[in-house]
Amino acid sequence: MKKTSLKARELFAILTITVGFKLADTTASNYAQEGKNAFWLMPIVSFLIMIPSLLLLMYLLKKYKNKNLIQLIKKILGKHVGLFVSLIIFLVAYSLLIVDARNYADQIKILYFPESPTPIIQMIFLIVIFYGAKRGLQSIGTSTYITLPYLKISIILLALLIAQSIVWLRIFPIFGDGLGVLLLEGARRGSIFADLFIVTIAYTAFSNSKAFSKGLIFGSLFSWIEITIFFLLYTTVFDYNSIDKRAFLFHDITQYVNFGVFFTNVETFFMVFWLGAAFLRFIILIYLVSWILGETLNLDEFEPLIFPLTFFVFPLSLIAENTITNELSFRNNLFTIATPIFIFMPILLWIVAKSKGELKKI
Amino acid sequence: MKQLHLGSLILFTILLAGCYDRTELEEQSYVIAIGVDLTDKNGLYKITFQIANPEVGTSMTGSGPDEPPRETVTVEGTDIISATATANSFVSKELKLDHTKVLVLSEKFARSGDLLRAIQVSSRTKQIRGGVQIIVSKEKARDFIDNNNPKMETRPHKYYQVMLNRASEIGIIPNTDIHRFFQITEGDADLFLAPYASTEIDEKPKENGTEDGYIAGEVPQEGGSRSQFMGSAVFKEGKMIDVLTGAETRIAQTLDNTIDLSDIYSTYEDPVDPNYRVAGAFAKKQNTAIKIDYKENGTTKIDVTVPFEMEIFAIPSLTNYSQNAKNREKLRKSIEDSLTKAAEDLVKKSQEKYETEPFYWSLYVRNNFKTIQEYEKADWNKKIFPHADITITYRLETLEFGKMIDDTHLNEVRD
Repeated sequence: MKKTSLKARELFAILTITVGFKLADTTASNYAQEGKNAFWLMPIVSFLIMIPSLLLLMYLLKKYKNKNLIQLIKKILGKHVGLFVSLIIFLVAYSLLIVDARNYADQIKILYFPESPTPIIQMIFLIVIFYGAKRGLQSIGTSTYITLPYLKISIILLALLIAQSIVWLRIFPIFGDGLGVLLLEGARRGSIFADLFIVTIAYTAFSNSKAFSKGLIFGSLFSWIEITIFFLLYTTVFDYNSIDKRAFLFHDITQYVNFGVFFTNVETFFMVFWLGAAFLRFIILIYLVSWILGETLNLDEFEPLIFPLTFFVFPLSLIAENTITNELSFRNNLFTIATPIFIFMPILLWIVAKSKGELKKI
Repeated sequence: MKQLHLGSLILFTILLAGCYDRTELEEQSYVIAIGVDLTDKNGLYKITFQIANPEVGTSMTGSGPDEPPRETVTVEGTDIISATATANSFVSKELKLDHTKVLVLSEKFARSGDLLRAIQVSSRTKQIRGGVQIIVSKEKARDFIDNNNPKMETRPHKYYQVMLNRASEIGIIPNTDIHRFFQITEGDADLFLAPYASTEIDEKPKENGTEDGYIAGEVPQEGGSRSQFMGSAVFKEGKMIDVLTGAETRIAQTLDNTIDLSDIYSTYEDPVDPNYRVAGAFAKKQNTAIKIDYKENGTTKIDVTVPFEMEIFAIPSLTNYSQNAKNREKLRKSIEDSLTKAAEDLVKKSQEKYETEPFYWSLYVRNNFKTIQEYEKADWNKKIFPHADITITYRLETLEFGKMIDDTHLNEVRD
């Protein structure tokens, strides 16, 4: 992969879109199923459980220099085991993308285009994503960085508009269904931060490794804080008995707010930004996933993979019968499977590297 | 390559301009008010839609000058959304509920306890928003909507918006929407207050001296629209159980921090000359302080302080309050006492009659518990509140007298 002129700020933007944007999809209601009114505390747990592994991975990448995620895995674990682990990483990342894609198609359908069939929406969605992903990392990074301020302004505007409906005391009882539940369920969903690991495939493409580390740290911290704040907002607007009944908390809020008395029904205003961010998010994800597969199979050029990978999202994402099965069964199980994989992969790498004595050499 | 691009561009124009969800503006009719009445059968309701005519009241002229500003239709149905389809058997356009402003429930229906079943649909579809206001009408919802014939505000959506906003600002009805209804009903601890309205005005209005001791239908009125918004319907667990007067509704709202009140114009007894009343604007600038000292075994103590400001604008007795410190102190004490007394009566009523409160106070006991299970076990509306020891203090922070320094001296005028 050629070097690009991407810097820390572009990585920051990429992470804010891929990770931080989860505040506006069904992730919130997925958390709320177990967390109830305390579900805003769960992303804190999810993040804390992932962060040691992420730092370990960053350490290894820094040690080995000029290797991206898959190259690092192959270098440390050898050809065969490396291939196996890489494939697992690819499968998990791709599956996460597929369930998310279905999720977004469903949200668009249910909330804005109720008459249109899901497959058609999914298809249009994927065509746009394919064209976007084709442009390459440089364009993706730059366009994400350019659009980020507008997306953030719309989100902040929404937070300000809903502020008057906030009742802070709704955060009590502070631990919801119990601290144990929060810790366990929060930890189980650590993989909402899986994108932080996936993005290390682009490690070598950034202008320098220092910029990458800086972007990763600030991007992940910002996304994490943003998610937590918005979850807190949902808790205080809906109460503990209502929050787990809503599937699209973000859209429930956009439908509830008005710009004064004259401008009512303003959800379409927010939808434009939301949709823009959704496109960007999947463009980034499909690009990174194609890259992971390309690197796993030792292909010189991975960009031809974007088309088939985008194409297969279409049939695979339509397996789930409805959005509730997709979210509460498929996505939930995937979280449980993916979390330990991303936690233990860097640890495994580190142990092997250490036992081989490679860490001292370099 | 160039042809491929051209081809994909053409494909895009077809795809992106897809017409699955296209509905022309003239194919839609906007429902402004929905009414729900009971029928004889269980689970079947009479659902009324008031449809606005968008051509009326706009600057657009020339077309259909004689069309009425609204049309009202009633159909039977099991829920609101499927009733829109039934209504289409005789309404030409597709009924859209996106712009619905109010949901009118007849008192009979509200008391039947079926409310949750009928409006549950509102959270499942996106058509009815959380911001839709709930109104409980004394008569049938259909009659209420029919009789609601505002003289000055011909566009129905504006009418409901303005009417409800103003009436809730001055506190005689609560400002509550479906969103709040769900929070409180699902929270299962407090009472939900919905505006109470009526278009059937009593022939012999109740005379009770004050301006807000009424419920809708009782306010003596001459001229104007025949619909009155006054007081509130009390809902317990999704079922209407009682009606509060306008005065009680105001008091309830001053005790609740989750509701914004602006200026409540109200009259109070004149402490110096009890033949007259003093009128003032009540304003709550700070939050009500609610302290709950929860005891697991034993009586929970609830201490409520309402800081408020008062601007006196009418002293018909012409007593000098503004400059006479002694009189002023008397007035201050009299206002505080009368409010405290009214609040205590309401609290007593809710403790004994309703066994829970319409002030959303359950929020303040929640921080005593770590988990939802503990909180639900403690049971606010069965165990804690009905037996609690409650003290209420209204504290007048500032007393203003408008732009007059002194009133006309009656003895000098009649000299």
